[in-house]
Amino acid sequence: MSTSHSIAAKEFLKNQTYAKWHDATFWAVRSKRDNMAHGLEEWEQLREKASAIKRHTITHLDEYLDQFATNAEKNGCIVHWAKDANEFNEIVYGILKNHNVKKIVKSKSMLTEECEMNPYLESHGIEVVETDLGERIIQLKGQKPSHIVMPAIHLNHDDVGELFEEKLGSEKGNHDPTYLTYVARLSLRNEFLTADAGMTGGNFGIAETGDIVVCTNEGNADMSTSCPKLHIAAIGLEKIIPNYDCLAVFQRMLCRAGTGQPTTTFTSHFRKARPTAQPMHIVLVDNGRSEWIGNPDHWEALKCIRCGSCMNTCPVYRRSGGYSYSYFIPGPIGINLGMLRDPEKHSGNVSACTLCNSCQTLCPAKVNLGDQIYLWRQQLDDFGTANPQKKLMCKAMSTLFGSSAIYNAATAMAPLANWVPSPLMNSGLNPWAEGHKMMEFPKDTFHSLWKKGKVK
Amino acid sequence: MSNKDDILKRYRANVREKYDMPDLSDIRAITYPDPLVQFIKMTESVGGHVIEVKEGQDLNQLIRELYPEAKEIASNLPEVTIATRNPDTVGRARDLNGTDVGIIRGQFGVAENACIWIPQTMKEKAVCFISENLIILLPKSQIVNNMHEAYKRIEFDKTYDGYGTFISGPSKTADIAQVLVMGAQAARSATVLLLPE
Repeated sequence: MSTSHSIAAKEFLKNQTYAKWHDATFWAVRSKRDNMAHGLEEWEQLREKASAIKRHTITHLDEYLDQFATNAEKNGCIVHWAKDANEFNEIVYGILKNHNVKKIVKSKSMLTEECEMNPYLESHGIEVVETDLGERIIQLKGQKPSHIVMPAIHLNHDDVGELFEEKLGSEKGNHDPTYLTYVARLSLRNEFLTADAGMTGGNFGIAETGDIVVCTNEGNADMSTSCPKLHIAAIGLEKIIPNYDCLAVFQRMLCRAGTGQPTTTFTSHFRKARPTAQPMHIVLVDNGRSEWIGNPDHWEALKCIRCGSCMNTCPVYRRSGGYSYSYFIPGPIGINLGMLRDPEKHSGNVSACTLCNSCQTLCPAKVNLGDQIYLWRQQLDDFGTANPQKKLMCKAMSTLFGSSAIYNAATAMAPLANWVPSPLMNSGLNPWAEGHKMMEFPKDTFHSLWKKGKVK
Repeated sequence: MSNKDDILKRYRANVREKYDMPDLSDIRAITYPDPLVQFIKMTESVGGHVIEVKEGQDLNQLIRELYPEAKEIASNLPEVTIATRNPDTVGRARDLNGTDVGIIRGQFGVAENACIWIPQTMKEKAVCFISENLIILLPKSQIVNNMHEAYKRIEFDKTYDGYGTFISGPSKTADIAQVLVMGAQAARSATVLLLPE
């Protein structure tokens, strides 16, 4: 009965020392988030407002997108619209080619991961350098992010130390995080100075002003746009919000919820290019969003602001890691976005949930993550991805519990199972015995005890 | 039909129920008895330093004392006379690399999170990030309580009207094994000089 998630999670759990560290690390981040939330009396009110702003905005997004694009163009930006990942990659490559760009530096953008932009550009001869430290580490390692805010969380300082020895020529055996961060700083500094273009994502787009707002702790989005002659910003449609009053609500919550800090170090507003640079390009990307808004059960996934708090708190994510999920965004929001993207491909993730609802109790935008996962599970049969064993069992159970005669006969006979030799009962033949020993059935059923007056 | 029209049309057709914009005027946002005290506390907690400049104190001498080893000092502020580089007149932004101390001006600070609003007021904004150490001059009367108040008053510069940023402390990262390190890609230290007025 293993799902793709549980099979992958087994790999993760082989290293118990690391698995425990991973769990404890994210629980610590969750606790930092709690300190921040409890430090503001208005926190729950902010969540209410954030959810209501997002509900309003994404159900009026056609108007806000138009307003955003009109203002950005008035500011002197060139605005592009991409209907899907392929078109997005072509647009970006087209801009780079027009400017004869050989190398770009970029800040973290889950949208470019979604569209698999880096391999596309690289196949066209463009060198792409990730500048968020975590993203840079996994790029050098040839891996994908295992968390949307802490992409290299699956590696420890020895892994990074050995990687930097090989790729950046750092001192042998010096795996001190401060030293390694400094080595990366020097190497990236050179990249910032020699790149032909800088690319950023966008945490928010402001309809009223045309600003692209990018939040980072490292300052890498600002470095990526301070020296190169060209800036391209890529942003998913749902990131547009009406105005600064709304932004204030989200700015206050994003980092408190995600990493437990009162703010990111930098909250940067890009309105147009530097005076010494080419006009700024903004690419607005649909890639499924205009369809998802029509899904009656799942449209609210578009409220997500990508803070990562749902994965930090998730008992399954903490104990199974980002690579156990088949979609590139893990955890509760990733389960839901993966199902919106391709349910046939990503159904293996919906079991990675205990329905504890910790995620939606925390979510700053009040996305009903756990409820949505429950609803996806009800649809697995429609997608043809329901587990045949489980289906059979469900049918059998409905027969069993549907008839008192069959039920009574079965419970009376159940203790016979106790006589099955334990190695057989607890072997791989019995999927229910996976990870725990089978229970022993009592000799007397509850019904018979009740009738004898032994239970009151 | 253009891509824009196509996307907007599809979006419009698929939206089901519409929701109203909530009233944001009733947010009971945090305020502080003394916002300046809170601002100083938060700046230190995010890894920044704060120095209160006394009335009549020599700013250039103070900066010299803070960074006696500094060779390259970049600023376009007229009161900073010890600058060796000017972000308004450098040939290329990258010529600001190797700056030991960059000195810029902030408009106002935010008590709840130590953010300082810094609109671009120089030709090359690189000075705000490329410098090893950053000094931000901030009039100490200009502290607001929270981001709601902050976003009501941010303004871009009239000449350099394309960019502005909130900065709260030095550049930092915890991307290697969750160990907090100051000085990721931008300034490794951030010092706020609170000006008497």
